[in-house]
Amino acid sequence: MSPLAEAIVREIKAKPRQFSEVVDAHLDVGWRDFLRAWGEVQQAEILDRDEDGHYLIKS
Amino acid sequence: MTTMKKSFRDYLRELEAAGELRRVRKPVDLRQVSGLLGQSREALLFEGLHDYPGWRLAGALVATRKRLAIAMGSSETEIAQRFEKGLERPIAPVMVEDAPCQEVVLSGKDADLTAIPYPLMHVLDGGPYISATCVVSKDAEYGRNVGSYRLMYRTPNETGIDLVSPSDMRFYYQRQLDRGKPLEIAVAIGVHPFEMLAASYKAPIDMDEYWIAGGLHGAPVPLVKCKTVDLEVPADAEIVLEGELLPIGWSADEGPFGEFSQISGDVKWNPIFRVKCITRRRDPIFYLLTMPLENDWLSAPVTEAAGLRALRNASVQPVAIRAPVGSCGYWTLIASIKKRPGEGKNALLALLSVSEVKLAIVTDDDIDINDPDDLDWAMTFRVQADRDLIVVQGARGKHIDPSIKAWELGKGGLPTTAKLGIDATIPEGVPRKFYKRLQYYGRDRIKLEDYL
Repeated sequence: MSPLAEAIVREIKAKPRQFSEVVDAHLDVGWRDFLRAWGEVQQAEILDRDEDGHYLIKS
Repeated sequence: MTTMKKSFRDYLRELEAAGELRRVRKPVDLRQVSGLLGQSREALLFEGLHDYPGWRLAGALVATRKRLAIAMGSSETEIAQRFEKGLERPIAPVMVEDAPCQEVVLSGKDADLTAIPYPLMHVLDGGPYISATCVVSKDAEYGRNVGSYRLMYRTPNETGIDLVSPSDMRFYYQRQLDRGKPLEIAVAIGVHPFEMLAASYKAPIDMDEYWIAGGLHGAPVPLVKCKTVDLEVPADAEIVLEGELLPIGWSADEGPFGEFSQISGDVKWNPIFRVKCITRRRDPIFYLLTMPLENDWLSAPVTEAAGLRALRNASVQPVAIRAPVGSCGYWTLIASIKKRPGEGKNALLALLSVSEVKLAIVTDDDIDINDPDDLDWAMTFRVQADRDLIVVQGARGKHIDPSIKAWELGKGGLPTTAKLGIDATIPEGVPRKFYKRLQYYGRDRIKLEDYL
């Protein structure tokens, strides 16, 4: 996983987040780089959702 | 000479000529696009996008009835009739060899969804979405289908796809799923609103929506064979995604998304679309269908035309019809009719048979249904609640209506809804003379401006 993807995982592990909150935390990187990192997190199949749409890390 | 159908770019030119489209010349970041579109009264064409050289992005194109009328080439009050005429004269598509949508062909690792500039649209969305789609699929028995389905970014080669509601493609997918096989699809992005309207229309399963689009254009839709799937797409599209819906059923999280119901939806469970190939123009324009109004205005003529057809099939003569944008152009139909005894109720039954319409109001032809005050007046003085309301229970509903509690259904469950009809026509047995509107004495003989 790239450092950006790892950072995203850490943030979601610390607290379930809406996708827009994950975006807001990384406004300093290019949109395309952000999407690639998000794709890495999705491919790892570690994400789950709660009923309000937050992403969380599977326990 | 064969008439040429209009393209997406022709529509942009028409909007600009009408003063309905503005160009955003300063380059923007994709994370700024939604906020800018939300502030604009006009449609926007972004001419520069950070990270995406050579790309442009257009949005809020059909966000008003006026802009829809420009697309339809009709007046704002004649949209449903214009749409209906197109439906009556379907025109077969034609196949072409060379297509602008295949000027660039990207497959394998180059078929990368992050290379397409689609932004996060709403605060509660589960990811960035591709919203302006014509999705093509095929079934060996039932033939070709074109519908519109949203796609949520997951990975560089996968998206979620909202296939929760009943549709022909959902049926095709289920048939493939029963065989343990994927369903090939192709997604055309950046097509003329006529193709979008045809895709939105709930045509009979054996009706090819490309024929409907041809009828709306008054000219055949040129199609080109896809590069990697056995499907055909509009040759003048801006971008095409080719791939398949994986045979995993309704098992992947998708959403929420800012729905056409004007509210944020729920997380849904849906299939995954795996992209194998992306084709596009050399200088593509990504079309961001801006929710909810673009979707609502594209829904309205489809709902209205279905209402007109239902009324005529019930031998009721319609005068005017409206699917108000407050009901997202989808859930309410208001019609005025030339009424014979009993036809207020017949008309309601017909209108309530249309898709998921859950409120129908019928008036006489002396009521201007586009004037809310006139409509209120009819409902006040022509309705008795104990005899002029119809309630139908247990009809087909739509998940995104919170009042039907779709979250109680579980994965893949289909909801039902109650429907209400209000007969606001003059009741049988009440002479028309009791509804004589007051008139100002001498009004026709004098002009106020002559005395100012």
